[in-house]
Amino acid sequence: MQFARKLPKTDTGVDDGIEIRIENLSVRFPDKNSRATVDALTGINLDIRRGEFISLVGPSGCGKTTLLRTIADLQAPSEGTVTVRGRTPREMRLQKKFGIVFQSPVLYDWRTARRNVCMPMELMGLPRKQRTRTVSEMLDLVNLLGSGHKYPHQMSGGMQQRVGIARALATQPEILLMDEPFSALDEFTKEKLNEELLSIWSIAKKTVVFVTHNIAESVFLSDRVVVLSPHPGRVSAVVEIDLPRPRHLAVRDTPAFGALVSRVRNSFEGV
Amino acid sequence: MNKQSNAWDQISTFLYPVAFGALFVVLWQTGLLHRLLGADTFTLPLPGRIFTIIEENTPAIMGNVRATLTVALGGLALGSLIGYLLGVLAALFSKWGKGGLTLASAFNAIPIIAIAPILNNLTKDFSTDANIRSMFAKILVVTVTSMVAMSVNAYRGLTELKPFSLDLMRSCAASGRQIFFKLRVPNSVPFIFTALRVSVPGCIISALVSEYFAEYIVGVGRQIRENIVLAQYATAWAYIVVACAMGIALYAALLISERILLKGRG
Repeated sequence: MQFARKLPKTDTGVDDGIEIRIENLSVRFPDKNSRATVDALTGINLDIRRGEFISLVGPSGCGKTTLLRTIADLQAPSEGTVTVRGRTPREMRLQKKFGIVFQSPVLYDWRTARRNVCMPMELMGLPRKQRTRTVSEMLDLVNLLGSGHKYPHQMSGGMQQRVGIARALATQPEILLMDEPFSALDEFTKEKLNEELLSIWSIAKKTVVFVTHNIAESVFLSDRVVVLSPHPGRVSAVVEIDLPRPRHLAVRDTPAFGALVSRVRNSFEGV
Repeated sequence: MNKQSNAWDQISTFLYPVAFGALFVVLWQTGLLHRLLGADTFTLPLPGRIFTIIEENTPAIMGNVRATLTVALGGLALGSLIGYLLGVLAALFSKWGKGGLTLASAFNAIPIIAIAPILNNLTKDFSTDANIRSMFAKILVVTVTSMVAMSVNAYRGLTELKPFSLDLMRSCAASGRQIFFKLRVPNSVPFIFTALRVSVPGCIISALVSEYFAEYIVGVGRQIRENIVLAQYATAWAYIVVACAMGIALYAALLISERILLKGRG
């Protein structure tokens, strides 16, 4: 695989194994109904290791999406800092180091699957030959090589979201940010895509930050689960998931899995 | 089975109106319609007579059709282009844009009958050639009437984006130019057709009406008026039929091109 050859290396030259460092981060939004502000996130401290699969899990309003958006430089912090490989999120965004998968697939309905995957590379101005090759590689990775000619309305929700993942990976980003990517899908499709995502991750070796409100999903996928609690949004626990890899869906039936799900569930505060 | 009933659905949507129209023509030709309305064949000639007149005067009619189509399509093109550019301006300066467009849509409330003579008068110094000066005035009328629908729809098409699509472009570090040409413009294409569905039938109507008031006597609309004044009702009816055919043909062309251009969007 093309991206597996690249060895992780920091831009600062000092490799401490930390991909994303979040220090004392707070994000406040103006309240719609009053002059006051709403604390979306307060005092977040978190280190995300290189190559780690980390989940941010919590109920609505806990700020998990805000945290992801702050890492991606789609949201500015009110206080504190986010550092990605020793650089600011803005520098990383402008260098196209983030691949993002959103809650909805956000495919352009005037483009086929292939041309949707191709879009970020067009923006980068990559040569056509390279674009065509990468698109095929990416579609192969998400098992959609035969469906490249289809338009979004001809694909199921699960297929559309897989195209979204292929597009996020097409620019060879260092970090994959996923914001509840499977929440709109049915349970069967979701489980299948969970397993597929793990296999993609094992090939692509990216750092993944995965936002979800589904505890079982977060335990199944992650190396660590960050539990966020609302009002104000804060980290209430970080749970290490020591289930062996590669993981398959059957792991969900083991007592160890059940115990980890309970641990995560019991970590919520004030819900 | 399902596919068959689908095909039948498609055929029947054409078939029923065509059958109704045919029935109407039969009632008309057999004189039943005249008895129902209490009309005579002098003011409402039989279809057979109307078609004979069209056949016998084809070259003259085609000349008038050409004049009317020039006005209608010229005005439509110019109005749609200006309208789209106004939509772009409104999208770029969103603070003023929305209010500006609301103001612009007030233009829609002005009847064509009212602006046609005014524009005719305003452009009387445009050229020494009455034909050119009339043509300019008529095209201007159609331009004004087809501009508003396009500007409002273009603005919507350029600004009503799917959730997260702007975030996606930003995460790809897209420039403002790239966001405009790769996201906003293609997003606006279906909205362009929404505008054209209003302004294509509208451009024929405004072209016909503008001819009524124009200085130079040419065009399908003008011929309807002239022949009614001369009490040549059969000839007037021939031009009315031609006017209807033009409107239907243009609308059909629009629907076909929409089908082709929006094929992938589902």
